[in-house]
Amino acid sequence: MSARPERAQHDALTSVLGGLAAEEPGAPEGERRFVLEAQGLARAAAALGAAGGHFAGLFGCGPEPSAVVAVVAFRGELVELRGRLDGERAYPSLAAATPAALLPERELHDTTGLVPLGHPELEPLLRPDADRPQRRVAGPQTFLIPYGPIRSGVVEAMQFPIETGGEDVLAFGVRPFFKHRGLERRFAGMSLDHGAYLAERVAGPEAVAHARACARAAERAAGATVPPRAERWRLVHAELERIAAHLDTGAKLAEDAALSVGAARLGALKEEVMRLRARLCGNRFGRGVVVPGGIRNEPLLVPAEVAAALDALEADLRRDRRLLLGTASFVDRLVGSGTLAAETVTRFGGVGPVARACSLGIDARLERPYGSYPRLGFRIARATAGDAMARWEVRLQEIDQSLHLIRQALESLDRLPPELRVPVAGSGEAYGWVEAPSGELVYRLRIEGSTVAEARIVPPALRNWPLLSESFRGDVLTDVAFVEHSFNLSPAGSDR
Amino acid sequence: MLEWLVRGLRHGVLTTGYPRETEPAPAGFRGRVAVTRAEGGSAALERLCPTGAIRVRSGRVLLDRGRCVLCGACVEQAPERFAFVADYETATRSRAALVVGDVGTPAPARPALGDRRWTLRRSIFIRHVDAGSDGAEEWEIQALANPYYDLQRLGLFFTASPRHADVLLVTGGVTSPLREPLRRTYELMPEPKAVVAVGSDACSGGFAAATGEVAGGVDQVLPVDVYVPGSPPAPVAILHGLLLAAGVVTGEAPA
Amino acid sequence: MSATLAVGVAGLAAAVPLAARSPRLSAAICASATGLLGVVGAATAAGAARASVGIGSWLGFGQASLLSDRLTGIFLAACGAIGACVSLALAERPRSRMVAALHAVVLLAACTVLLSTQAFVFLVGWESLTLALYLLGSSDARRPGALAAAYAATGATKLGGASLLAAFGLLYARTGSFELHVWLRDAPELGAARSAVFVLLLVAFGSKLGLVPFQGPLPPLYAAAPGVAPATISLSFLAACYGLWRLVFTVLAPGSLWWGELLVALGAATALVGILSTIAEDRIPCFLGWSSVEHAGVTVLGLGVALVGQAAHLRLLAAAGLLAATLHLLVHGVAKALAFLAAERVVEATGHDTLAPLGGLARGMPWSAACFGLAVVNLAALPPFGGLVSEWLTFMALLQAFRLHDTVAELVLALGGAGLALTAGVGLLAFVKLFGGIFLGRAREATALAGPDRPRLGSGALAAAALALGPIAPWEIRWLGRGLQGILGFDPARSAVSFPLVLGPVYHGFSVLSPTWLAAGIAAFVAAIVPIVRVLRPPVRRGPVWLSGTAVPLAAVQYTPDAYANPIRVVLRGLYGFRRTVGPRRPGEVAVVRTWLVPAFDAYLYRPLAAGALAVAGRARRLQSGSLGAYLLYVLAVLLAALALIPALAR
Repeated sequence: MSARPERAQHDALTSVLGGLAAEEPGAPEGERRFVLEAQGLARAAAALGAAGGHFAGLFGCGPEPSAVVAVVAFRGELVELRGRLDGERAYPSLAAATPAALLPERELHDTTGLVPLGHPELEPLLRPDADRPQRRVAGPQTFLIPYGPIRSGVVEAMQFPIETGGEDVLAFGVRPFFKHRGLERRFAGMSLDHGAYLAERVAGPEAVAHARACARAAERAAGATVPPRAERWRLVHAELERIAAHLDTGAKLAEDAALSVGAARLGALKEEVMRLRARLCGNRFGRGVVVPGGIRNEPLLVPAEVAAALDALEADLRRDRRLLLGTASFVDRLVGSGTLAAETVTRFGGVGPVARACSLGIDARLERPYGSYPRLGFRIARATAGDAMARWEVRLQEIDQSLHLIRQALESLDRLPPELRVPVAGSGEAYGWVEAPSGELVYRLRIEGSTVAEARIVPPALRNWPLLSESFRGDVLTDVAFVEHSFNLSPAGSDR
Repeated sequence: MLEWLVRGLRHGVLTTGYPRETEPAPAGFRGRVAVTRAEGGSAALERLCPTGAIRVRSGRVLLDRGRCVLCGACVEQAPERFAFVADYETATRSRAALVVGDVGTPAPARPALGDRRWTLRRSIFIRHVDAGSDGAEEWEIQALANPYYDLQRLGLFFTASPRHADVLLVTGGVTSPLREPLRRTYELMPEPKAVVAVGSDACSGGFAAATGEVAGGVDQVLPVDVYVPGSPPAPVAILHGLLLAAGVVTGEAPA
Repeated sequence: MSATLAVGVAGLAAAVPLAARSPRLSAAICASATGLLGVVGAATAAGAARASVGIGSWLGFGQASLLSDRLTGIFLAACGAIGACVSLALAERPRSRMVAALHAVVLLAACTVLLSTQAFVFLVGWESLTLALYLLGSSDARRPGALAAAYAATGATKLGGASLLAAFGLLYARTGSFELHVWLRDAPELGAARSAVFVLLLVAFGSKLGLVPFQGPLPPLYAAAPGVAPATISLSFLAACYGLWRLVFTVLAPGSLWWGELLVALGAATALVGILSTIAEDRIPCFLGWSSVEHAGVTVLGLGVALVGQAAHLRLLAAAGLLAATLHLLVHGVAKALAFLAAERVVEATGHDTLAPLGGLARGMPWSAACFGLAVVNLAALPPFGGLVSEWLTFMALLQAFRLHDTVAELVLALGGAGLALTAGVGLLAFVKLFGGIFLGRAREATALAGPDRPRLGSGALAAAALALGPIAPWEIRWLGRGLQGILGFDPARSAVSFPLVLGPVYHGFSVLSPTWLAAGIAAFVAAIVPIVRVLRPPVRRGPVWLSGTAVPLAAVQYTPDAYANPIRVVLRGLYGFRRTVGPRRPGEVAVVRTWLVPAFDAYLYRPLAAGALAVAGRARRLQSGSLGAYLLYVLAVLLAALALIPALAR
């Protein structure tokens, strides 16, 4: 990167943060690190947010912990604001100015005991009591439907306390963290390879994205460069995962609309993708492919076979989606349901197809390009309405873009050297970010030697859960399934 | 609607003939890990596995498939001892049978559902409960309803009400907030009932067993009839496990 | 027979001053007196000799007497039976002397109206009834809104009273007498005035029944009256209907076709407005009040068909409509009184008169639940009870529209049938909401019950009647047939009750219904099944309600009565003026939900009228200048006007 844009950025950031924080040099490319007192963290984060920054996450760092870290995406860079605690156990809450920090601060409070002063809603988040959902609405003859944690159908465990006055949804509560498995702690002491295997099992349907983010964080911390051939195959797996996830959303939406044939068709297409991945690497979810330094094994199929399978898939999908978008009983249920405003998404720090459906151009592959994305051309998917139909349209566009990307990657393979992996060893700390199917996923790894010392995960589902609650304005109970599936967030990912 | 009908008919029959016909896994599929050479193992082998599935007892290498997450670290580091087998049928009726190479006698298992009540031989209602999985097992169980597997042709149906269920399908090593809801679901099911633990997390707690947040497998909370290991197990493997619980098939996973 | 009548009336008259000493004794005497009157009525209706008590002509408006003939006998029997049961209930728990005295006054006034043969006595009875109702409604002034409600209701009925006075004045002017039998004889010579008299009588009796557009003030009156007074007030229903039967059907008959059509249209509209207001209502007495409005509509619907039949000279159609309406009157009277008594018990035990905090009372109050349930199944017209029989007969009468040759009449009857069907459907929902909201499920707010729930004589007798009215329908209809023979000219029960215990509309062979056999069949089925189930029952294990794996308290998650009625309010939000707002949702705060209703009648009729009336009153207040000279001027002006008018009218 040339020096001139860096200086321009430096001026913009320092003009915003001014005397609030001091920059720490030595951050890898794409990251900026600032150190300050935890007491000034709220002000600095608010200043960045006012200047157009997108709040990403908040967590504790170090033993006890010793610092509260806020991460903000600002103009193509990931800015880390590290607030030193110096033995204090409380800090001013960021949630008053930045609603996106509401959930992370509660989680931090539950895991470490750090008190965010001025937090409007400091209730226990981890290990919730299923029998005591919080009431958000008071009124004559409103009642509660505790939907969850064991819901109808083969779905993940999550509780949605729905308050209703009969048919309309007055308040849609979202209670994650029933599945908290403490996996962030488990990373400590593992080898880098084992860390990648663990990352794959944080959120199963986004296994490749998690493994990639974890591997990137390790590679950036150690200063290793992944061979281009491995980057291409990583992209192929990641985009196949994206296609499978979006087809899954479509199948669920079609099933909700009682379109049996549509749901069966999309389910069959998703099965084709999963079988392709199994033939490609031996695992239907692409597990065991991405390791720090590259990919583990040579793929089991040649690029021509993969391309042929994708062509058949695309032809089938084209006919099915045309039919789907022409079925009024499907489209009518989605149009106008769960409408979100762009301003709400920005306030809560939303990411992924949910944000892109409100005409916000947030995509980690374009903001902070990684892997092979800078070399391959693709367009960001966008829609304007902000309702469930817009989210479905964004996903359809993304499937097209994913197919396009995979084809470009496969075509470029024969021009690349055969190296698949480089060794990764060293010490340091760095961030790794990827665009998972449901939004931007950020990993922060501190490695010592070849073991992980500390890992922090900022999942996209955690950033989007409040948006699910906000999207219910004037909808009725029968719309709940459609809106929930149009978000298609992973509780396992947010709960970790 | 007519267009949908035509569209559905054009593709013909996609459904597998399992269990009537064998369903082969694709080449290179990581179905289960086999110990190709069990004798002469050293304690260093135990460190190969991130979940602690490999144990060496008096020189003999034991692999606990309930803990194995099929990551492939052992196959990569010690290919002379461990190898992947492309197989779908991995379910067993007891926890001890999951430990490969153990020469002890397995505990007697409860008779299959079909043996306990004759009318359940061909029609089983399944209630799935997520007790802390990573979401992949749910995808694979949902896949059972797609045209490739179509579990309804075998008389298996999903139900939302535990009062109508015969089989409880549990995924995930049980996290503490979900322990009581899982137990309530089990209590509400009428007799006879069977519990099938799907996934390595459900068999042993998986990676999370060491963090203390999970109970360490479904059998710490409920009596389990069938264990289906894998991370996640393929849909055919889950189908095999269900049919084992129903008594329609009797072949458990080979060692 | 006449002696018994005299004793009964005297007993009622004596009970009024006795209430000042001992309300319980007064109520007991009321019970026995009305019981006697009921027996007299039943006997007279069945065809026994007329009972009469002469008053003489000292009132100055011609010969007056209290006479019970066949038609009066029906109403007197009903009033007597229901009145006796309500008096018994009052005797068991007398609230205050005022209420006991007014109860006796209401009964006396109602019986006077029913028995009078002369217009002046009728008017005296009518106005006393109005006054007694006002005093009943305002007797407990501490209740919020009671005085206003009583005032509004009385205002509407005063309008009716004025209209009745005008009608009687017109009839006197045409026939020269105040006696009913003279009017009956001279009715064909009334000419054009007949329609005017019809409209005035319709306004008069409609305002007491609660026909559209007079329905608004009536339900709050029921809510304002304390204790068992609402049950007493429901007896005025019988008096108003008697007026319609006697004066419109008998005296003014036969009229034009449009009379019946107007009644059918009004009846259907009233029934619809009534039931839609019922389902949106949260206060229990108001709920039952709106249900009374609905049933008034259904009764008038039947009467309208009878008038159409009369005008078209189809006497079978007239009989069908009249039979249906009369049976409906009886069944509704019993069921509504029972409902009010049971509701009073609930309100007294829990201290709440709205549905919102109640729930799950069936366990703590089994007798009240049973009584209320019997009342509700009759009001909702479920088989095999009496409510179904009367509604079925009304439907059958409406279905005879094809026998008419007038297109407009056929259309109106068809629309009336459609309206009745919609009312019946929504009525089922409404009563499920009421019964379920009070007695079923879990208590939404835990309330301690004051006093045990013992079976009582008054409500017990009414409950037995409510239970039996369906299965004994063939005998009832035979008795009614004899009673209606006086005004129809033939006994409709001959063709209404056919092969043993099977009912049909008066047209033989059109359709059949047998509540007796149905009741017997259900009882036999239950008696056969229960022992089998007991013996063959497999081992049962009980588990808690499935709430997605949680154990959230059931009271917080069960359907509320408001939520049950919500879909109808949302669909018809224009008619209801339904609005719901949710406060701003901020993290950590609880948002407040506000719901309010401004029904169309309130917004577009009552409020503008009230505003207009207040404006006029404000202007008229200027006349009350307080100056003696102005008042003398007014007296002079009125005198001159009267002097000018009398010669003009005396022509």
